[in-house]
Amino acid sequence: MNRRGEGKIELMAPAGSFESLQAAIDNGADAVYFGVEQLNMRARSSINFTLDDLPEIALRCAAHKVKTYLTLNTIIYDHDLSIIKTLINRVKEAGITAIIASDQAVINYARTAGVEVHISTQLNVTNIETVKFYALFADVMVLSRELSLRQVKKICDAIRDEDVRGPSGELIKIEIFAHGALCMAVSGKCYLSLHTQNSSANRGACVQNCRRTYKVIDLEDGHELEIDNEYIMSPKDLCTLDFLDQVMATGVQVLKIEGRARAPEYVATVIKTYNEAINAYYEGSYTPEKIKGWMEQLATVYNRGFWSGYYLGQQLGEWAEAPGSLATRKKIFIGKGIHYYPKQQAAHFKIETQSVAVGDEILITGPTTGVVETTIASMRVEDQEVDTAGKGADVTIPLATRIRPSDKIYKYVPA
Amino acid sequence: MVIITHQRDKCIGCNYCVELAYERWRMSKKDGKCTLIGGENRKGFYTVKVGDEEFAENKRAAEACPVNIIQVKKI
Repeated sequence: MNRRGEGKIELMAPAGSFESLQAAIDNGADAVYFGVEQLNMRARSSINFTLDDLPEIALRCAAHKVKTYLTLNTIIYDHDLSIIKTLINRVKEAGITAIIASDQAVINYARTAGVEVHISTQLNVTNIETVKFYALFADVMVLSRELSLRQVKKICDAIRDEDVRGPSGELIKIEIFAHGALCMAVSGKCYLSLHTQNSSANRGACVQNCRRTYKVIDLEDGHELEIDNEYIMSPKDLCTLDFLDQVMATGVQVLKIEGRARAPEYVATVIKTYNEAINAYYEGSYTPEKIKGWMEQLATVYNRGFWSGYYLGQQLGEWAEAPGSLATRKKIFIGKGIHYYPKQQAAHFKIETQSVAVGDEILITGPTTGVVETTIASMRVEDQEVDTAGKGADVTIPLATRIRPSDKIYKYVPA
Repeated sequence: MVIITHQRDKCIGCNYCVELAYERWRMSKKDGKCTLIGGENRKGFYTVKVGDEEFAENKRAAEACPVNIIQVKKI
């Protein structure tokens, strides 16, 4: 059972920080996934939670009926076995819903400890027999990102037809990646970062050197080969929003959004958009006009350009046109939260750098606040209505949402 | 004399330093991160002074560290 209700698809959000976690909860996620300490696939790029954060994560999510999944899906060595056991025991104590695992040591210990297991993309599940094998240990499995929707549907159908059930006694649930970064390697099994920087992607320390430009040089005569597209190893980002009806029709039950290393407003925008699209699908109002609006929303946050991945049967990848994001706007830090006046519904900020003006689109993020986006309708400095305020100003703006001293305020500018 | 410093909380437990400078590094079974043998903790930075004979292998460990948290300096 998720927030959307039994039998409805589950929208699963990435949470690399408390800001993102709150943004996911507030924008309609049914589940969140996150890593603690070093044993997860974003050990380098995301802040990550600590073991002591687990009870708080479980409590906050349970209050909103949001499920919680801990990623524990790196390669595991002997020296990790003890911390793995500690982690799984703490997951159980804190009441985290399940762990996402790939190494058999993790799967095995979680099963003996009575913790629900989900199969990670690192195990590259591509056929029904593999699903049957892992059904001995896990109730939910993510399929390889390289499958087409036809292949996904075949697996979902076979689970029903052959009555493939997991340890819970329920039919196996199939999860797929719906949105976010793709990797040039099959199911993320890449050694590029390890070979060039000793930094293993499979231990969560990918340095993303595939996102750079490369030349191909003929060593015999020194000629540099011309490559039409410079970013030949950097795929565009996956986006399924504009064919979500086809995705839903396959029978998948969990849509996973990639992005634990992304900013909180990315999580807020992507989750909000997909949440609306899923609900529209169920209500029969998933229309081209709405899709156009949603796609414009998605383009405002970090992206390398969008493509449909391999789901629609493309044989070759589509490659990014830039090393970084093609987002249509970017955020600039301008200050910090000071106080909230609940009666007046006004938020007091200290502007620490740049300036802010009436009409500016602003973003407020914080570990408890999550993500709040709004346009400044009016503002006051020292009890006077003003149009702009500069560095050092104490600004009060009308705001319906509570803010806190731990919050940061940004303004959006065109990228 | 050589000073080795380790910013332990950022360790991802890859095991490279143990392979390259076994006399000075061990993986902790407690938390899966690496421990600098003889290291003294000052606000999360572990430091040890060792003889020049340990410089080369620990320098290799520092260069191999994927998260750049090992420093080896001759003083």
